[in-house]
Amino acid sequence: MEEPTQNAEWKKGSGEMLILSLVEDQARHGYDICRLIETRSGGSVKFHVTTLYPLLYRLEKNGWIQGKWVEAAGQRRRRYYRLTPAGQKVLDQQRANWREFVAAIGRITGMEHV
Amino acid sequence: MSDWKAEVRKRVERAEIRAEREAEIVEELTQHLDDRYRQLRASGTDEGTARATTLHELDQSDWMTLQLRSTEPAARPAIGFGLRGDVRYALRAFRRSPGFAAFVILTLALGIGANTAVFTIVNTLLLNPLPVREPSRLVAIETTGTIGRSGRPVQVIPYSNLQDIAGRNQVFDGMAGYSNVNAVRIAREGGTERVFAECVTSQFFEVLGLRPWRGRFFQPEEDRPGSRPAIVLSYKAWQQRFGGDPDIIGRTLRLNGTEEATVVGVAPEGFRGITVVFGPDMWMPASSLERLAPQQRGVLSDRTQSMFRVAARLKTGITMQQAEANVRVIDSALRRQYRELTQNARVSLLPITIAAQGDFAQPLVQGSLLLLIVVGLVLLICCSNAASLFLARASGRRQEIAVRLALGATRWRLIRQLLTECTLLALAAGALGLSIAWQGCNLLWSLRPPEVALNFVDPKLDGLVVLFALGASLVTAVVFGLAPALQASQPQVIDAIKEEARSAGRTRSRVAFRNLLLVGQVAFSLVALITAALFLRGVGRAYGIDPGYQTAHLGIVMANQGQAGYDAIRADTFYKDVKRRLAAVPGVTVVTWASIMPLWNNPSRPIVIAGDEERRRQDTAPMVAATIDTGYFATTGIPLTAGRDFTDFDTSTSPAVAIVNQAMADRMWPGQNPIGRRFHFYGEPQLREIVGVARTANYSRLGEAPQPCVYVPLAQNFSTGMLLYVRTQRDAASVMAEVQRTLLNIDPKLDVSDARTGSKVLDQALFAPRIIVGLLGVFGLLGLALASIGLYGIVAYSMGQRRREIGVRVALGASESAVRRLVVGQGMRLVGLGLGLGCGIAFLIGRGISGMLYGVNAADPVSYLAALAVLAGVAFVACYLPARRASRTDPIAALRDE
Repeated sequence: MEEPTQNAEWKKGSGEMLILSLVEDQARHGYDICRLIETRSGGSVKFHVTTLYPLLYRLEKNGWIQGKWVEAAGQRRRRYYRLTPAGQKVLDQQRANWREFVAAIGRITGMEHV
Repeated sequence: MSDWKAEVRKRVERAEIRAEREAEIVEELTQHLDDRYRQLRASGTDEGTARATTLHELDQSDWMTLQLRSTEPAARPAIGFGLRGDVRYALRAFRRSPGFAAFVILTLALGIGANTAVFTIVNTLLLNPLPVREPSRLVAIETTGTIGRSGRPVQVIPYSNLQDIAGRNQVFDGMAGYSNVNAVRIAREGGTERVFAECVTSQFFEVLGLRPWRGRFFQPEEDRPGSRPAIVLSYKAWQQRFGGDPDIIGRTLRLNGTEEATVVGVAPEGFRGITVVFGPDMWMPASSLERLAPQQRGVLSDRTQSMFRVAARLKTGITMQQAEANVRVIDSALRRQYRELTQNARVSLLPITIAAQGDFAQPLVQGSLLLLIVVGLVLLICCSNAASLFLARASGRRQEIAVRLALGATRWRLIRQLLTECTLLALAAGALGLSIAWQGCNLLWSLRPPEVALNFVDPKLDGLVVLFALGASLVTAVVFGLAPALQASQPQVIDAIKEEARSAGRTRSRVAFRNLLLVGQVAFSLVALITAALFLRGVGRAYGIDPGYQTAHLGIVMANQGQAGYDAIRADTFYKDVKRRLAAVPGVTVVTWASIMPLWNNPSRPIVIAGDEERRRQDTAPMVAATIDTGYFATTGIPLTAGRDFTDFDTSTSPAVAIVNQAMADRMWPGQNPIGRRFHFYGEPQLREIVGVARTANYSRLGEAPQPCVYVPLAQNFSTGMLLYVRTQRDAASVMAEVQRTLLNIDPKLDVSDARTGSKVLDQALFAPRIIVGLLGVFGLLGLALASIGLYGIVAYSMGQRRREIGVRVALGASESAVRRLVVGQGMRLVGLGLGLGCGIAFLIGRGISGMLYGVNAADPVSYLAALAVLAGVAFVACYLPARRASRTDPIAALRDE
């Protein structure tokens, strides 16, 4: 039971930043985001459908990302999300906060960090 | 491949978001599941596992629903949209706390039931429209300037005047007269049965616009004297007295052992005559009145005898004012033409619905209004009980409410949910209340005197009553539900989530609201109790009122000899025979005959004082006219204050004499001796000399204003319609059976079943006030019981909330008694506020009802003190019990619990 709890805690604190980062350079659809989180974290962070989409919709509602239906020939249409300028500011801020937080933890615990 | 779309839709639907957005989300999520499934399959997972895994990831749908609700705009609902969900949610909540639901329903049902029961009475007696065609066009005629004993203008007019106005007016489509009801004996197999007949002019049913249920109504020739009497039965009498006999038409009934009459028709169902409270069993033509009521001989020709009430139908386009002007012109002409008519009276019209309430109109309206106020207060106590319960429950649900608010539910949405719960409870209570009201009315109606049970108006539980109960339930739901809903849904989300259970519900506004409920309950309950106490004292005093004669050891029997066909000679022999034979019955001390019944609307006659022709035209107040046999004053215990009693020497050939009462003497000859003065009745040339003065008694109503009364001796004013008065040595009830047996020994055909003791006469006179006292008592006690439960609940709940504080006090050394004093003191301070407020309201109500209290002061200190003592005592116990429990709080346990 340890792992899922940890997973949930991770997601709670960092979900927004993870998604914003993933759509920073290019527009992505929900499944793509989901898969990237899992593979890039080596499987230790997983977002399922019921967690991911409400979060996406909230970010969109906040104006930090923008969703758009894209039709490709021979395929079903998909909704792609991209970062908005407002989202960029939030992401920059969150990154800064995160670095500061990790540095603080490092200073307290004496652990080495990048 | 699986149908992911259906699975997704099923889950997203619950979020109740806008349809087009929902479609987009379903499409997006479906695609996601599709991709996920493919990926699992591609990685070698078998089909079943892949499907199960995909679905499992969708399974946290509750979380998703809540999340979606918080981010997506809610659906713009069609009317009623979401209501079903609210109702389902509420029902689930009740299933979780059935005790709470049952208690609220029961409390409210008692309040709604009491209100609906009183409304049923109001509906039956006041709002019940006559079941006739266009009742709004029907009017009655009353004679203003002639004040009846009920304090209202009299509604009866002489038969000849009725016929003249009917013939000469240009404003009515038709005009009909109807008499008071008369008791009639009809011969049945194996005996006789007493029924009530109303005499009506032949146009009666036509004017009312009724159609016969069976047979026909009266024809003009049946109205003329000498024609064979005809009968129209009421539907109820036909059903209940004649078993709905299909061959009733044409049947001959034998009336009073002498007369034969043919049933010609049955009136429509639901029509019970015009008078509201009491309906006849049958109608007979006006020409029958003289035969049914022997003491009313000459009533059809004598213009000094007013016996008929009038119902007239206005012509289309004629207003009541126009009609009144026309009728007044005719009436004035009649008064000029016939000098025996009182000269300074005039007629006016009033709606038939007012006339139908008769002399009861004012007490009916006042009594009903008072009862409505009191049951309204009881309902408010119920509401406040329910509100405090709801508030307590809402406090327990604060976390749930806070989470819902945090997840984006609007405040309105939450209020709607809470109000739905209240409405459901109130509707259930309304249904139960309706049934309580119906049972209550049946119980109340079962108290009516059995001898007139069939003629009494039936309680009317119709659509209006159901509507009232529904309305009362909905208003109740809003009253008890809105305040808790508004409070519970206050968006102090963070506070609520952070707060521990210990402080839930102890915010300042909540405490203030609960205190307000407590004060209100005490105040309303006190008002109900004081009102009941005032009425109880009033009726108690009414029984103590001296009616002017001694009711103890007095018996009155109706021998109905006149109706049995006795002529004057036979009646005279009968009267003497009865007096002689009863004198020998053990326990009987004095026996006499009299034409009047105590505390009853007895006939009155105008008089003319000798040499005072002018004055009599100005003086139109009716005099009670009593014909009495010798020994009347000894039998009734009315003392003579001057002059002499009638004796056997006052005969038909000796000079005509009379005895007047003190009220008459004071009025006609103030400061002078009336003995030796002379007067005559209207239309009677014979002068009578006053030989005695009797103390004024109550004639029509207990505690009435003094009425002038004239007594004349039986020998000089013979009547076959006399009542037997018996004074007994011991309890009259024990002697009455022997008296009845003696009468039947003289003539077995007599109907002597109606025998009353003096105390029964009093009981009957006080029937309505006793019923009102009974109802007020029940409602007062109900209010007290509910308020004490509510009080206990509020104090106990607030003790539960303050357990920690009290634990700290105890830990710091507060003694048990100090804690008790603290809790009781705080409770009783609020109770004191409520008592003060209640006294103020009760005083205002008391001023409005002082006329119904038989002289008891509306600020009667005994009633106030008694009610205050009872309520304060009950309130003390309600505060003390939780206080005692609180004082025994184990401080360690209380603190550890937190």
